[in-house]
Amino acid sequence: MTPTDAPSTALAPRLSALTWLNVFSRTLAIQGSWNYETLLGNGIGFSVEPALRLLPGGIKGAPFKAAMTRQSAYFNAHPYLASVAVGALARTELSGVPADRIDRFRTALSGPLGAVGDRLVWAGWLPLCSLIAVLCFGLGASPLAVILVFLVLYNAGHVSLRIWGLYVGWTRGLNVASALANPVLRQGPHHVARAAAATAGVAVPLAAARLLGHHVTELGFVLGASAVAAVVLVRLHGRVEGYKLALVLIALFALVSVAR
Amino acid sequence: MIELVPLALLGGILGLDVVCFPQMMVSRPLVAATLGGAMAGNATMGVLLGVTLELFALATLPFGASRYPEWGSASVVGGAITSAMPDATVGALTVGVLATLATAWIGGMSLVSLRQWNAWMARRRRPALDAGARGTVIGLQLAGLTADVVRASLLTVGAYLVLHPLAHALVGAWTLGESVSRGFVVSVACAVSFTAAWTIFHSARGARWYFAGGLGFGFLILVVR
Amino acid sequence: MTLVLNRIDDRLIHGQVVVGWGQPLDVAFIVLVDDVVAESDWEQELYRMGVPPEMEVRFHSAAEAGPQLDHYRTEMRPGILLTGDIATMKCLVEHGGVREVNVGGIHHRAGRTQHLRYVFLTPAEAAALRELAALGAVVTAQDVPATRAVPLDELLASREDA
Repeated sequence: MTPTDAPSTALAPRLSALTWLNVFSRTLAIQGSWNYETLLGNGIGFSVEPALRLLPGGIKGAPFKAAMTRQSAYFNAHPYLASVAVGALARTELSGVPADRIDRFRTALSGPLGAVGDRLVWAGWLPLCSLIAVLCFGLGASPLAVILVFLVLYNAGHVSLRIWGLYVGWTRGLNVASALANPVLRQGPHHVARAAAATAGVAVPLAAARLLGHHVTELGFVLGASAVAAVVLVRLHGRVEGYKLALVLIALFALVSVAR
Repeated sequence: MIELVPLALLGGILGLDVVCFPQMMVSRPLVAATLGGAMAGNATMGVLLGVTLELFALATLPFGASRYPEWGSASVVGGAITSAMPDATVGALTVGVLATLATAWIGGMSLVSLRQWNAWMARRRRPALDAGARGTVIGLQLAGLTADVVRASLLTVGAYLVLHPLAHALVGAWTLGESVSRGFVVSVACAVSFTAAWTIFHSARGARWYFAGGLGFGFLILVVR
Repeated sequence: MTLVLNRIDDRLIHGQVVVGWGQPLDVAFIVLVDDVVAESDWEQELYRMGVPPEMEVRFHSAAEAGPQLDHYRTEMRPGILLTGDIATMKCLVEHGGVREVNVGGIHHRAGRTQHLRYVFLTPAEAAALRELAALGAVVTAQDVPATRAVPLDELLASREDA
């Protein structure tokens, strides 16, 4: 889309490879000072700072200081897709877009980058990669193979997303919404969800069988009981945190075992 | 007991990965418990624990501002404790899961405290931030990263020192058979993972059929082999 | 089904709304009420990119939203009503039909005091929340479904040292 009320981003100076490397490596630590007041705002300022040094007057100039103040204020997004914001905000600052426009753009960018990233990564790519690794375990893979499959697969997506984010943010600037219409971001979570659902179906019984080891005769009971319990938990619509409930149940179980 | 310094380093690095740097998911239980187990000399036991915990972790989505368990340091602690027990120790996996879940829960609270400390640091430097001081922005980021490593290392060592003897005492007094013990903990893990899979994926069109198909295929593999 | 969640969240559409609440509640549409966004095509486009393709987002100003909400409540599919501030939600409560209000996120700004890790309020905003309750709405704070819903009195009484 080309929004009628979004100003086009003017020409910006070219950033050196070293500057890009500096910006990219800083985005890996974008949540380094995450807090309940500015969330990852300071991380945005930290990540975009190497690019802002190209503003007139350099790090001692008023434009640099004004930009640092703006960019270190409250911001919330998915940490990987925050790279889109870092690229786009660097572009707007270096293109001389008026401060009030940058502020409004920054505010509007925050929520959608959080929502898209949470759907695609936290509720999609991460569980899929995790389940694929669990499947490898269920099929008898060695410990090293299990963790290598997970880390290589997951980070191929993770690092690509961060690099892509910086690239589209920088190249599209204020028109970055069109980049968020990318089919990978729009349709990707659906395909990932289907793949993850199928993988969960295969992986969990196979992993359960290997976890039970010599006691695999219990597998039917284990899967039956867990299916019934899962139905009850689903009906609670996410109001109970599974791991906390598990902690209580397993603690009670341990108590019974040592006290009887 | 294993060497505390390497354990603290591993727990610190993997705890840092949960939120601050670089979020490559080396902090997932699957990886962290296996590495913790390898450090204690038994990566196979570590991966058994890691996979069990991974089934729990599927249900905890790390949305930025929400409160979630800290799996990285916790799984290192659990992996190190469980893997140090002799093979075929009855109740070892169950106790290892219990130790990790408890540490992950406390670790989640320590993350909240860290975030409050980060806010306090930023508030104290508000005038400099408002003036666009580059050194302050960078300093806050480095302070947060350092504090997180320290937090995760202390959590790892503290939890290990408390839970290691406790876990050994528990398995020493364990009366239930391994079949029941392992069956129980795997049932709970599968229930949580099935719930997570449903909650996360059911809204995708046809996902339930993909799940059913996968389940059928999984059973087929089990029967054939 | 109807509007199953009436939420105040200054981040508007983000992960907690779309995934945290949207998935367990099977939400099919979001009604976003905000005077600035209702006037801005490019901001609307950005927010649309934040939701799955099958989820609708409808944008309204505070003034026009009230009558529309009566229509949305007759829909068979569940939806979320979302405002970025308390004043906008108050307009909708005054119009009628909003019986429960979820405070999902009001973040730090100069003059605000921290009450929960995700709720910071000025004295005027605290008073506005009391007015919502006086109008008959049950006001609670809860960021995601798995956490406890904090009642208004407890929310206003609590002070967290950030």
